[in-house]
Amino acid sequence: MLQRPSALVAIVLTALVVAALLVPFVGGSYAIKFTTRVLVLAIFVISLDFLIGITGLVSFGHAMFFGLGAYSLYFISPQAEAANALVAFPAAILGAGVAAAIIGAFCVLTRGFYFIMVTLAFGQMLFSLFYTSRIAGGSDGAYINVKPEVALFGVTILDFDRRTAFYYFCLAALVLVYLGALALARTPFGRVLQAIRRNEQRVGALGVNTYTHKLLSFVLAGAIAGFAGVLFATIDGYVTPDLFGWRQSGVAIMMVVLGGVGTLFGPILGALLYSAIEEVLKTGSWVGPIANHWSLGLGLILIAAVLAWPRGVAGLFETHAPPAPPGRDQPSGDLQAERPQRGKALAVEGLTRAFGGLVAVNDVSLKLAPNLVHGVIGPNGAGKTTFINVLTGALKPTAGRIRLDDEDISGRTPYAIARCGLGRSYQRTNIFLPFTVRENCLIAAHARHPSPFRLRAGKFAREEEREIVHALAATGLSARADARASHLSHGEQRQLEIAMLLASGARLLILDEPLGGMGAEETGRVTALLRALSVNHTVVLIEHDMDAIFAAADTLTVLVEGKLLAHGKPEDIRRDPAVREAYLGRWGQEIVR
Amino acid sequence: MDLVLTQIFNGLQYGLLLFLAASGLTLILGIMGVINLSHGSFYMLGAYLSLTLTSLTGDIFLSLALGIPIAFAFGAAIEWLFIRHLYERDHLQQVLLTFGLILVFNEVQRILWGTFPHSVPIPSYLSGSVKLFGLMSYPNYRIAVAGLCVALALAMMFVIQRTKIGRMIRAGESNREMVEVLGIDTRLLFRFVFAAGVTLAAAGGIIAAPIESVYPGIGESVLITSLVVVVIGGIGSVRGAFVGALLIGLADAFGKVFLPEFATGLVYALMAAVLVARPGGLFGRA
Amino acid sequence: MTAPVLAAEKINSYYGQSHILRGVDFHVMPRETVSLLGRNGMGKTTLLRSLVGLVKPRSGRVFLHGADITGSRPSFAARAGLAFIPEDRGIFPNLTVIENLTFAARPGRGARVGWTLERIYSLFPRLAERRSHWGNELSGGEQKMLSIGRALMTNPDLILLDEATEGLAPKVRDEIWATLRQIAATGIASIVVDKNLDDLLALAERHVVMAKGEIVFDGTAQALKADAALIHRHLGV
Repeated sequence: MLQRPSALVAIVLTALVVAALLVPFVGGSYAIKFTTRVLVLAIFVISLDFLIGITGLVSFGHAMFFGLGAYSLYFISPQAEAANALVAFPAAILGAGVAAAIIGAFCVLTRGFYFIMVTLAFGQMLFSLFYTSRIAGGSDGAYINVKPEVALFGVTILDFDRRTAFYYFCLAALVLVYLGALALARTPFGRVLQAIRRNEQRVGALGVNTYTHKLLSFVLAGAIAGFAGVLFATIDGYVTPDLFGWRQSGVAIMMVVLGGVGTLFGPILGALLYSAIEEVLKTGSWVGPIANHWSLGLGLILIAAVLAWPRGVAGLFETHAPPAPPGRDQPSGDLQAERPQRGKALAVEGLTRAFGGLVAVNDVSLKLAPNLVHGVIGPNGAGKTTFINVLTGALKPTAGRIRLDDEDISGRTPYAIARCGLGRSYQRTNIFLPFTVRENCLIAAHARHPSPFRLRAGKFAREEEREIVHALAATGLSARADARASHLSHGEQRQLEIAMLLASGARLLILDEPLGGMGAEETGRVTALLRALSVNHTVVLIEHDMDAIFAAADTLTVLVEGKLLAHGKPEDIRRDPAVREAYLGRWGQEIVR
Repeated sequence: MDLVLTQIFNGLQYGLLLFLAASGLTLILGIMGVINLSHGSFYMLGAYLSLTLTSLTGDIFLSLALGIPIAFAFGAAIEWLFIRHLYERDHLQQVLLTFGLILVFNEVQRILWGTFPHSVPIPSYLSGSVKLFGLMSYPNYRIAVAGLCVALALAMMFVIQRTKIGRMIRAGESNREMVEVLGIDTRLLFRFVFAAGVTLAAAGGIIAAPIESVYPGIGESVLITSLVVVVIGGIGSVRGAFVGALLIGLADAFGKVFLPEFATGLVYALMAAVLVARPGGLFGRA
Repeated sequence: MTAPVLAAEKINSYYGQSHILRGVDFHVMPRETVSLLGRNGMGKTTLLRSLVGLVKPRSGRVFLHGADITGSRPSFAARAGLAFIPEDRGIFPNLTVIENLTFAARPGRGARVGWTLERIYSLFPRLAERRSHWGNELSGGEQKMLSIGRALMTNPDLILLDEATEGLAPKVRDEIWATLRQIAATGIASIVVDKNLDDLLALAERHVVMAKGEIVFDGTAQALKADAALIHRHLGV
């Protein structure tokens, strides 16, 4: 997850700021203008990185908000006077933000390729609106005759007609936007956005309304882009419809990727790099006649960058911490220190799920007592997974009821069921690989919080912290809290999945083949963990490893072709002739223990 | 009335040309999962090939015959050099690399042919117009172009439905892995599909050249409109591309007649409407 | 000593971090039918996929007709005589039955053309009846037969069949077993994965049992039947 910039990055950024402060002293007015453009573009590109790199929304129309911000200066500025920046700038930000809210409400309903397409479409619509109509001069563009100024009670404090004043204003703006974006990305809200980028489905299953999160991110990014736009218009006092176009959006994406997606400081480097390349390639005196065809060079650089350096310039700053050695943790004894808590009981009556003519779960009635480990086994996979999907709300039952303690949860959404304390793990590990162990649990803990848009950790921070520490201790991962999930062994990843469920407050855990792909030692460790967990939780597990399930389970339920065949203590199930036949056919009869 | 009819015919003919470009795009996206923004550049390539080849051979249909193998070879080379690295990459990187290709292609075009608009002559035996329904005259060449597009569409349908390669394409769309497991090297299949797809776009550019002038930037508007057609028709569906392209053509014609200022906006509004009603496109898999 | 058609040495395959196959040694002799047994999640499908090249083993080697095909594309192994029929059958829904069958039809090694469309139709009369139907209009059993027929049309030397009869009615199951016997009689080797111990014991010459990514038994039906403890431990409850 996004951290505070490393020391190296901080040094480079500070050096850049110092260099920027000196530009008006060592450079002429062209240098100031050039650098002002870089600063303003950097603000625009940071807003795009927030959308692409933090939230994972690849927008090909982000320039439309840039254009709206620019044009709003035109609309607000009187013919022959300076507009008041204290009015004009907030108006631009607000206007862009409102537009983003309306456009985003529609766009954020889509994903992937379609999202790229609808954002492109809206950008082009706005472009053609301003291009073909007579609002604001059409294709010729429009002039802002007098640059805005900052005025309070009639007294001019800053006149942006003066290049240097405006330059420092933009520099300050960039620093504030960068720090603000960085801080926002590290709030609980920002962290959930980052999780949405990695694995939206999982975040939704944890109980988060991903649509509103994404929409809010879209609006914020649009508003900042609008701010960049109004600043841009102030540089030259001239706006054209090209500012809305897809080429402008494409160039912005280029700067994001060249600089380094998702780093937030990458865009600054990207804007600088792109402007520098453009300048160098365009200056005939340096590169000769190639200057006329500078975009050829740009295109080739871009292609090379994508093929060879997908992480951009920021990739150069990445330090690769060596993966921490595998922990030797056993499930800790901390659990005993707590008062044993009551896990939830699960009762199922006549549960049926049919798919057209195929009845996958057939009239299953079952009671699972709290604070025990219950195994669910059966010869073929289909019935068991469907059964779990119905219990967790991924599928609706065709008939029957499900009760969690006394609460009827039949037919509820997965989100609502998760909030009732029923947590589920998946056959294929479904964690956030780029995040650390602790961050994974943090997301799970954030997700259970009733208010999704928290900016500050607030009073829930301590409680969450406790839940996370407890979850890590219970699953034996305390020593690995700062290791990246992708560096964990497979067994540890499975433990992390369980830790996430604990951190999200689940009191009944349903684990789908948690021992899949594990060797003997790991299996032993996880089996011991499951038994330890039953002190405070109810555990239901589907498994095929018979040795493990006999060691771990207090009760066994056998499902065959969707029907409940047997339920009881493991030793009794083992001796049950009907169960034997289900697994072994007639050999089950012949082989008598 | 005359004007409206002419516009409708123009719209249909534009739609048919658009179909050529969009069909290639939808196949590439559907089978290989690659967003190729440089698709419009191949249309532009076709237009400029038309310019050069027609001035050499004197006849546009000869240019078409020569241009198709050139475009196919060029498409295969681009796939081998750049596109095949994108199959495992995410959308962002695909968008960026193909955006870079656009920049490169645009500049190469500028270097080779310059920035002034050119015109390509209509063959003399197709000049003039014919009276349709006794109501209006319509240029012969435009009718020929429309006819050629329809013929190409039918040929495409034939290839896809009745030939071995067509079966591979249809199968590749539903289960790429199984195609490979059955013994067909999907790398070669992809190269073929890409080359064929961009050749269709180039062919459109070649025959469209005499109708509108040839200038830098014609590729881009074709690209964006083709993407809209793909979204409306459904990714991977040639039939959807056909219906979508005709719809766009008609909408564009309507817009030019009744709402000239919002003609382009109308096209996007149509796309938005389809996305709301059928998120997978008209013929796509949901 | 005849050489095996297919041989795998010390295969270690992973799914992400999950170590699924642990040092697996496996081989199939020409014309031999081998059954692959074991509960779900034990690695049977991963083994098949590793043999055919859909999964690249992290270590170990795979040999087909004596040639090292480790890391080769699946299409290469297929053209060298390996036919893989996945658990979900892999029928192309937007192709008709006859198009599915003829999709990859080719002569086998040494230009053998034992399997023709007519022969497939006589083996599976139901497919002949439904030849113009779309692939997704067939029932589960018919799709199974179609996938087997399609594989036969490539005139393979070795068939890998993942879940021969899962989800099929008993009568259809019997038809599949009879078909597999007929195919074996024509000299094609096969690896058959299934859960029906009785049927597999009757069909195959050799039996391999997998548990937790390792081979725990490799021998004759006699030897397997004699080891009740093993059957219970790895196949039963």
